[in-house]
Amino acid sequence: MLEILPRLAPASPVRPEWGWTAPTDIRRAASHAQESTGLDIVGSFWPVTGLIIGVDTGGTFTDTVVTGSEGTIAIGKVLSTPARPEQGVLDSLRAAARAAARAATTPAATTPAATTLGATTLGATAEHGHLEGLLARTSVLAHGTTVGLNALLTRNVARVGLITTAGFESTLAIAKANKILGLDERARRTPTMWDKPESLVGRRHVVGVHERIDASGAVIVPLDDDDVLAAVGLLVDGGVESIAVCLLWSIANAAHERRVGEVIARAHPHVRVALSSALAPRLGEYERMSTTVLDAAIGPLVASYLGRLETLLRNHGFTGSLLVARMDGSVQPAALLRHAPVYTLQSGPVAGVAAARMLGSVLGHRDVITADVGGTSFDVGLVVAGEVQYLSRPMIDRRPLALPVVDVTSIGTGGGSVAWIDERLRSLRVGPQSAGADPGPACYGRGGMRPTVTDAAAVLGYVDRLSGGLVLDADAARKAIETAIAVPLDMSVEQAADGILLVACEQMKDLVRRATVQRGHDPRTFALYVYGGAGPQYVGRFTDDLGVAEVVVPALASQFSAYGAAASELRIAVSHDVPPAPVVDRVERLAELSVELEATARAQLAEAFSVLPPGAGEHVDVVRSVGLRYYRQVNLIEVPVPDGVVDRSSVNGLVDAFRRRYEQVVGAGTSNDETPVELVRVSVSVSFPAPQVRPSRPLGSAARTGIGATATASRRAWFDGGWVDCSVHRWDDLGVGQAITGPAFIESDETAIVVYPGLVATIDAGGHARLARTGRFSRTARTGETEGASR
Amino acid sequence: MTVDPFVLEILRHRLDSINDDAATILMQVSGSQIAVEANDLNTVIMAPDGRVLACGRYVLVQVASMHLFVKHLLDDYTDNPGISPDDQFMTNDPYIGTLHQPDVVVVAPVFVGDRLIAWCGSAIHESDVGGPTPGGMSYDAASIFDEAIPMAPSKIVEGGRLRRDVEREYLVRSRTPELNRLDLAGQIAANRMTVGALRGLVDRYGVETVTETIELLLGAAESEFRDRLRSLPDGRFRHTAYVEYRPKTLAPDAREQIYAVRLTCEKRGDRLVLDFSESDPQAPGAINATYPALTNFSMAAVMLYLAGGLAWVPGGIWPALEIRSRPGTVVHATWPAGVAMSTAATCQAIRICVNACASRMLDGADDELRALAMASCQAAGGGGGIVSGTDGAGRPFATMTLDELTGGGGARSFADGANSSGYTTSPGAASANVEVNESYLPLLYLRRIELVDSGGPGRYRGGVGSEHVLRAHGTTHPVSVLSFGQGLQHPAAIGVAGGEPGAASGFALLSAEETDDLVGVDPNLGARHRPTVRLVPMPTAGMAFSGDERMLAVAQGGGGYGDPLLRAPHAVLDDVLDGLVSMARARSDYGVVLRAAESGELTVDRAATEVERLDQRRDRLGGDPSRPVSSAGPGPADARAPVAGTRLGASMRVHDGDVCCGECSGPLAAIGTDLHAALHRGEHPVDRRAVHGLTYPGAEQFVLRHFWCPHCGTQLDVQIGRVGEPAVRTVEPLS
Repeated sequence: MLEILPRLAPASPVRPEWGWTAPTDIRRAASHAQESTGLDIVGSFWPVTGLIIGVDTGGTFTDTVVTGSEGTIAIGKVLSTPARPEQGVLDSLRAAARAAARAATTPAATTPAATTLGATTLGATAEHGHLEGLLARTSVLAHGTTVGLNALLTRNVARVGLITTAGFESTLAIAKANKILGLDERARRTPTMWDKPESLVGRRHVVGVHERIDASGAVIVPLDDDDVLAAVGLLVDGGVESIAVCLLWSIANAAHERRVGEVIARAHPHVRVALSSALAPRLGEYERMSTTVLDAAIGPLVASYLGRLETLLRNHGFTGSLLVARMDGSVQPAALLRHAPVYTLQSGPVAGVAAARMLGSVLGHRDVITADVGGTSFDVGLVVAGEVQYLSRPMIDRRPLALPVVDVTSIGTGGGSVAWIDERLRSLRVGPQSAGADPGPACYGRGGMRPTVTDAAAVLGYVDRLSGGLVLDADAARKAIETAIAVPLDMSVEQAADGILLVACEQMKDLVRRATVQRGHDPRTFALYVYGGAGPQYVGRFTDDLGVAEVVVPALASQFSAYGAAASELRIAVSHDVPPAPVVDRVERLAELSVELEATARAQLAEAFSVLPPGAGEHVDVVRSVGLRYYRQVNLIEVPVPDGVVDRSSVNGLVDAFRRRYEQVVGAGTSNDETPVELVRVSVSVSFPAPQVRPSRPLGSAARTGIGATATASRRAWFDGGWVDCSVHRWDDLGVGQAITGPAFIESDETAIVVYPGLVATIDAGGHARLARTGRFSRTARTGETEGASR
Repeated sequence: MTVDPFVLEILRHRLDSINDDAATILMQVSGSQIAVEANDLNTVIMAPDGRVLACGRYVLVQVASMHLFVKHLLDDYTDNPGISPDDQFMTNDPYIGTLHQPDVVVVAPVFVGDRLIAWCGSAIHESDVGGPTPGGMSYDAASIFDEAIPMAPSKIVEGGRLRRDVEREYLVRSRTPELNRLDLAGQIAANRMTVGALRGLVDRYGVETVTETIELLLGAAESEFRDRLRSLPDGRFRHTAYVEYRPKTLAPDAREQIYAVRLTCEKRGDRLVLDFSESDPQAPGAINATYPALTNFSMAAVMLYLAGGLAWVPGGIWPALEIRSRPGTVVHATWPAGVAMSTAATCQAIRICVNACASRMLDGADDELRALAMASCQAAGGGGGIVSGTDGAGRPFATMTLDELTGGGGARSFADGANSSGYTTSPGAASANVEVNESYLPLLYLRRIELVDSGGPGRYRGGVGSEHVLRAHGTTHPVSVLSFGQGLQHPAAIGVAGGEPGAASGFALLSAEETDDLVGVDPNLGARHRPTVRLVPMPTAGMAFSGDERMLAVAQGGGGYGDPLLRAPHAVLDDVLDGLVSMARARSDYGVVLRAAESGELTVDRAATEVERLDQRRDRLGGDPSRPVSSAGPGPADARAPVAGTRLGASMRVHDGDVCCGECSGPLAAIGTDLHAALHRGEHPVDRRAVHGLTYPGAEQFVLRHFWCPHCGTQLDVQIGRVGEPAVRTVEPLS
């Protein structure tokens, strides 16, 4: 597989200069460049001369995407190795290196385009030692990991101790009395199943220290070192390996927490310490404590994994920077994340949204809905005005997190969801039970008997094998659907299979609707990006009446998270909550905090740069914002703080901006001038634009000529109530601008797009499939015909 | 026509999603802590006649009987002022359809053309709706005229347009008009969304399909609930719960007033009758429940305690359920009785009655259904209340602390109750962070902790409650406090199947020294013996604290399940190590003797435990058991050979027309005779379950009754009764 593209077009007048440009300008420039040249030219703003690689460890696969300055060079996909995830990373890199080497030696590589940076050089180095050759050429390796999450879900975590203010030892156990948050639908209707999540800290490992600070930061009860020593002694004697410290009002005055940290460091230097004031300075002791404890629990394991991985990569000749994907959609050097591993708890789904943001900037979509269909879940995220969105009350494993987490909502509907009949209503239900991976759907041929969504797709001829080469047993799928659904409902197997997809896709549609409408957005202004292994199979079905502006199946649909890791921006975001008070009374504090936080962020960025290639980050992007809300309200709205000195007049401007935004979010006529606007949070983020790697398919020869390849095969599939012969196209063989009218299939090694009747898929310059509606479908007409490559 | 099996599922899913979206919109617009954090709200979609079809996952009791309001509108308003497309109606009248005045309900008809196809609506708790006292509740109310005067059902939106005159009529009453205005805007927006979405479904699937789907879903819910009833044993189940009340009109030396809510629950085949007609006459204010409050709480309790795992569709349950009551009683007050405190008072007693009867019914069923039985969670507690006053900057404040939401959950037939988890009736409610309350209120918390020994002892322990100590901070003004003040005189969170009730609530204003004396022990040590009984006054209107004075509030623990002497000793050891049970109580409540090894490690002294448990059985029976059972063995008691007969409860079987002990097989009573009369009985003062020994005037009117198997001494039932009243025949099997 080789990326064959025309040479970079000469710099157009609007192309930004090499160096720093405001993100909005970049996007404008990018989309403009694309319009004027038909190419997605985006300059990298990193002083990166080598390759940028994204590696994402998922539940099933570990994906690698290798990109050079002009696009995707190779991809790798291997099964994940949960016991030793670094092995999967290495295997995946090796697979990508092999693919790149193969591509470099194919005849196509002799075309002029192959002389572009990357392919030939890589091809040459690949001759001797694929992996080492690849890594030696790599400047940045960005990694999304599930090590922390798996540790949490399997409770393979450190033995944690917690030090808190005496008299408040039960904060974590009381958990704000939450007994149903995060429970599934059936458990929510079964009161005897209502319980709190099992605590990561035993009650016996919570120790109070006598101290108290009030909301103003005043010390009411001073801290006593001996008391702390005694508390720590109790914990260490109890076998604790990692200590979380969370004292009341440490956001107003962190002196006591810091002191506790110092005392522990002096007396027990081997014990890991997490301070809530350093990790998550947010108002609300329960959420802050929960976050600190999570960090303490997964910290040792994640830090050790990142250490092992880095060593392994270095041993294989990697000299570049190892970055790790965080759940706020950014990446940071592994070395920095070892201090706050809790940020790595979510990677894959979040990286997918980060990837959509980047792809959106390339394709000119500022508002994007992301839809990721996997085996067991369907995840929806949003990019609004070019920015990822954050959850207002993030939670993981039923535990709250006082950190920015990219908003991704999920339902348990995926390929493995089981279809069944509600006997009482005689209606067809899909999920929430899933057949999982083993035995999996009936068509996997591993003994699964219950019909699933994937079985329905197999029966209807939409899919005949999975990535990884598993050939599906359509007969087994038929049998399962016939027995469990078709016979009881007295209908044909095809009708039953069609119904399963209908119901499953309605659930997906519902989630997309809720993720947009419920958050106050109009889906008609959004593009929908559909990815994940199974997404492209159902795209035509769950997008039909959503009313979105455009539907895109990205070129790297089944490696989207890996691409996201590579495409995320390096950002240091620091924020600090303050005791709520009218913002007009807090001008000085706000000014002071902004300066402090910017200094902190810049210092951390400098630390990050120290492991980046020289010259990186000469120009950083600084964004300051405040979290404001009406008096005693819960909903916080982030308002950007303009550049320059913060003074009374700029604060008045913030209040006005807040009121305008409030009306937008909550509804016209809902704001008012009487209720005080409170300052709750001050945030500063420093970043520089992400490495603007372009996702694209390594296109076939057709890409150069603009002449589309004809169908490689034909397959019978069931659409709109009957069997139709459909053309099957190799995705990589399609030309730029080539349009495939449904019903048809566009397949690659990893995924298959089902182009439903009434849809036309057009391949763009990056190899992405853009889906649009055509006229009505008639089964008697010839289908799957190439409508020509011109646009 | 019949609805396609796929469309039926799609519509079912959509209706639930739409209803859930409505709640989200309501929370988003409201933005208040009560809405977003305490989730004191709910949304519904109803059939054209008001039968509730989709019931949100928030506070069930607010909406389970919303059909009453819709029925009232259909009966009274159809001609004048008329019910038309895009109208919306509001009320907070507890005599029409809400629990009490602070709950505001807004409903909207859904028309397609001029055909009424459904209703939707929501309820939300307001911090203030007017009346003489901030927060709208007062012990001193002699009638509803001393409370917030409810707003009669009014057309707040007419043809899609907000009626400003009606809005002002509503807001003018409130001390917090801005909050009320946002909540109202949220309720209207939520209804608008639902109406639009339902019309969208009609556009897509046709009006007949949607209408028929609504009936099919109601019908399926009914048949599902009837099947559930059929699989439960027929029987008569009884429970009496009490409401504590101290009105202003009471002479200082008069006996404290206590009101009984009495339920006889009869289940035959697929019908359930809840008969409350023997309840006491209504009180002269504040604590009474109206008929809508009775039906809301009864229906919600049926869903929670009997219909676990089923679709919660009240409109489908009603046909199988009958609620009987007598007007003029505390559960069915007649105008103009005061009712503002109903939810914290009589409604909790209603809920406990249904809870107790349902759990006894389930306890006699098969394994799967038995897993749905649970003892009572905290009842409304003295731990809850409204604080008000003036902060350091001179601004007035009045709000609930939400501390009461951290009482214990009821024990289950297979597990302990969820500790500090709050009411079952408010599943999504969250208490507030100390840091949030201290941000807005001139208060400093000195303590907020799970309270040792507060969970009701049982084979499975009730969830522990929690304790809150706070004082004024940053203000020189006194802080007024209105305690909800229930469960102080008696422990209200009852146990089932021989489990003990959870500890009582606590509420007291004390000096710093007194407070330290009461609570200043390290809960991790838990070595303190029962403190001496300390008599403190019942909360009254106009209580306040200032300076160094402390407010102590305890949210009570949940009830236990089964005889505590059957609890696995290692579980008791774990509780002691976790600070949930003290060493002293491990012995006195559970008969478990712990011993510190040389290493300092605590272990169970098996031999001493066996002796202690036998001693306790001897104490119960006043002599040696004739059929002794071992209870300090290694495993749970279930590991022993099963006793013959059909299950009637955790420790009771029916065999050959007789009720037998499930532990020793000893015969107890013939079916149809009074079982309790045949059991060995012990009566104890209720201060056994008082927290920190805090006792209130009126406690002497209550008694804790224990019922034991006369052969082996196993505890089969525990009742809280009024001195001088006969025991309640809690379980009466019907053959």
